Amino acid sequence: MTETTERTALVELTGAGKQYGNVRALDGVSLEVHAGEITCVLGDNGAGKSTLIKMIAGLHRHDAGTLRIEGEETRLDSPREALDRGIATVYQDLAVVPLMPVWRNFFLGSEPRKGVGPFKRLDTGLMRRTTREALLRMGIDLRDVDQPIGTLSGGERQCVAIARAVHFGAKVLVLDEPTAALGVKQSGVVLKYVAAARDEGLGVVLITHNPHHAYLVGDRFVLLRRGTMVGRYTRDEITLDELTKQMAGGSDLEALVHELRRS
Amino acid sequence: MARFRTWAVIALTGALSLSLGACSSTGGKRAEDARKAAAAQGRAAVNTPRWTFAMITHSGDGDTFWDIVQSGAKQAAVKDNINFLYSHDDEAQQQAQLVDAAVDKKVDGIIVTLAKPDAMKAAVARAEKAGIPVITVNSGSAESKTFGALTHIGQDETIAGEAVGDELNKRGKKKALCVLHEQGNVGHEQRCDGVAKTFHGTLQKLYVNGTNMPDVQSSVEAKLQADTSLDAVVTLGAPYADTAVKAKADAGSKAEIDTFDLNAQVAAELKNGTLGFAVDQQPYLQGYEAVDLLWAYKYNGDVLGGGKPVLTGPQTITKDQASALAAYTERGTR
Amino acid sequence: MSTAADERILRSSPLRKLLLSRPELGSVVGALAVFLFFAFAADGFLNASSLSTVLYASSTIGIMAVPVALLMIGGEFDLSAGVLVTSSALISSMFSYQLTANTWVGVGVSLLVTLAVGAFNGFMLTRTKLPSFIITLGTFLMLTGMNLGFTKLIDGTVSTKTIADMEGFPAAHALFASTLTVGGVDVKVTILWWLVLVALASWILLRTRAGNWIFAVGGNEDAARAVGVPVAKTKIGLYMGVAFGAWISGQHLLFSFDAVQSGEGVGNELIYIIAAVIGGCLITGGYGSAIGSAVGALLFGMTSKGIVFAEWNPDWFKFFLGAMLLLATLLNAWVKKRAEATT
Repeated sequence: MTETTERTALVELTGAGKQYGNVRALDGVSLEVHAGEITCVLGDNGAGKSTLIKMIAGLHRHDAGTLRIEGEETRLDSPREALDRGIATVYQDLAVVPLMPVWRNFFLGSEPRKGVGPFKRLDTGLMRRTTREALLRMGIDLRDVDQPIGTLSGGERQCVAIARAVHFGAKVLVLDEPTAALGVKQSGVVLKYVAAARDEGLGVVLITHNPHHAYLVGDRFVLLRRGTMVGRYTRDEITLDELTKQMAGGSDLEALVHELRRS
Repeated sequence: MARFRTWAVIALTGALSLSLGACSSTGGKRAEDARKAAAAQGRAAVNTPRWTFAMITHSGDGDTFWDIVQSGAKQAAVKDNINFLYSHDDEAQQQAQLVDAAVDKKVDGIIVTLAKPDAMKAAVARAEKAGIPVITVNSGSAESKTFGALTHIGQDETIAGEAVGDELNKRGKKKALCVLHEQGNVGHEQRCDGVAKTFHGTLQKLYVNGTNMPDVQSSVEAKLQADTSLDAVVTLGAPYADTAVKAKADAGSKAEIDTFDLNAQVAAELKNGTLGFAVDQQPYLQGYEAVDLLWAYKYNGDVLGGGKPVLTGPQTITKDQASALAAYTERGTR
Repeated sequence: MSTAADERILRSSPLRKLLLSRPELGSVVGALAVFLFFAFAADGFLNASSLSTVLYASSTIGIMAVPVALLMIGGEFDLSAGVLVTSSALISSMFSYQLTANTWVGVGVSLLVTLAVGAFNGFMLTRTKLPSFIITLGTFLMLTGMNLGFTKLIDGTVSTKTIADMEGFPAAHALFASTLTVGGVDVKVTILWWLVLVALASWILLRTRAGNWIFAVGGNEDAARAVGVPVAKTKIGLYMGVAFGAWISGQHLLFSFDAVQSGEGVGNELIYIIAAVIGGCLITGGYGSAIGSAVGALLFGMTSKGIVFAEWNPDWFKFFLGAMLLLATLLNAWVKKRAEATT
């Protein structure tokens, strides 16, 4: 562990927490994201994964602990601010606008323009070309970038969103359950692009409840249960079996096994 | 499926036998057909070419008053060998556009209402420019001449109001209520103001939502309950008189209900004494005379009224005259 | 993945692709059919002056249908749009008359107040997060009451007094309500306003950043927010666009008729929405076009006046309108289903 702390983490949470009214949604979570590495956050439903994401994405402000971006302690007030600091978040269900063409989705919120004054307009040629090229670089060959993105499959849409984040120079990519609603084959495709993003030098936060997916690509693992952190490992500190066991509930699972067997 | 078919056959047979076997001897569709046959029939009594006259009114959808105007116009059209067209819109801009369309169609004469005179000015001028004679009806007696119309046929709302005021005085009323069923209608304001002009007692105004009958009834009822000294209620349209009668009964008031305009129901209620009196503007005449005078102008260059409005009202109708009118209101011409 | 994408393209028929990329296509086909129908059925429909009247009727709806369509693409409704036109005309007229000011002063004040109403609608919507149906229903009723109340209070009657003899009237009349003669045919200036608005709105929608945002907030508001689209600003801007259209329509109403009836405009908001929907706007937002709204307005104008030219009973007009609306909505629903279908 000592050798990694020498490098400054892109994003580092120390003892971070969040309270909604009198409900403690998240408490004492620490994680670090480094360039060219994938940090996996694992947890069951209600473990606090989405709260954690919202904190990093700038949708909610943390109210305990510290958040450091490239070593500097900060607070994020809006998704826009997070984006400006190089943190791009890809949500599982709300990544794209289904009825808009792929290229419009790709540049949504950061549209390039040409012309001056009131004649400033979208550089549609550049947008179409760039979209195609950026997707190609991630290994996605989309012949028609004018089709509504809703006509793509779920996996393809995730990939476009990932390619978008990479293209816009995100340093940190936060992925919210990218494989949750996908079949086995499509999950594999998405994980391939996650790895491609890592190879581009991005730091990736991968939220998932599937330890197999996590162990395929992850460098660091953070385990959440009921709003608290129950484990924090680097890849060489833990095996897939151990991760699966921890994820499945550890001693809880043993109790369940016992219970089911008796009945 | 088979069961459904059986039921359908039974239901159909039942309905048929009911309608055949249990004929009503009065009213209904058959009586209406007889009425229709009586109205707007006959052959052209003239040998002038078949001219086309267009009538464009400010009527809303489904207003019985304009059915009577139309039946008069159609009767005259049959006699004068006229192709009669009717269109309407209660939105001023739309009504003006309908006049424009009639001008584009190059009709031979235009009959138009000036409920919102300013909006119709340009459209009437355009007809004038195209050489199409225009006669204004119903509303707009003040503007008709300046807009260049041949003549105006209708009732002066203020004069009609004054007639109501006089009649109320004659009946010894002290405190009357004027029920306005359309907020923002100039003619309605003029009627009430006319009443106030000649009425010696005090007159109060009550605004109600004319498109919502239950609301009209409850508003009038509440007013009658709140002010028991009211001894007369004047409604501005025939359908509202009956509503006011119901409100009066529910409120237990002794006030007399009087109304502007006439319909079958009002005639019947005048006859049995439920209503005090009605002031009619004879809509049938407005339609009939408009078409007939346009024809006379085209045929003979005749103009009636010498630039002054030709008045079709007010005609005050009380219990005595009502019985004679019932037959006419029944067939939809009064 | 590349092969998968290619397969998808092969599977989509050219017609389907065209329908997806051109929201107004269905309405254009409908408009052509209606045009041909009246060209045959209605005597004199094809006269230059008749067509000019049809275009004028269409333009008075179209000027409002354009911003309303943009708003609907942005996923919202404005039920106050109809009476706002009347409000705008009333403010302009009464301000000039009561202060005996140049009519242009009234026109300017009216623009400011009308835009403020639009901004209020947008602000309330984005702040309260209540459905726009409720918010604008509120402003609709408030404006209806204020139109009648203030006019009666200030002018003593239900319509304003004429401002035709006031300074600045001829110039304002020329801008908002004049009739130009093009090749012997009288053309109302509103038709030009309409064309300019359609062109401007199309440019904004398809070629500017704001246009991209409008599609995005209507198509998936949360996604738009997540990628940094200023959702609140976009929506407030859209409502102010509707207000701007209401201002133009209101000034036309005032300067063509010299005086304004305070009770008018109620119900017109639905006509604008109908024109936008017939033109291919999805009720749920995210899809539609400005040109489509123009076609919708044209269909409206052709039908309402064509029935007069054809000498039919105008009672049937609403029936035709309803049938067209249903057809358009069915077509749009089909489009949306196709566009959102995933494998």
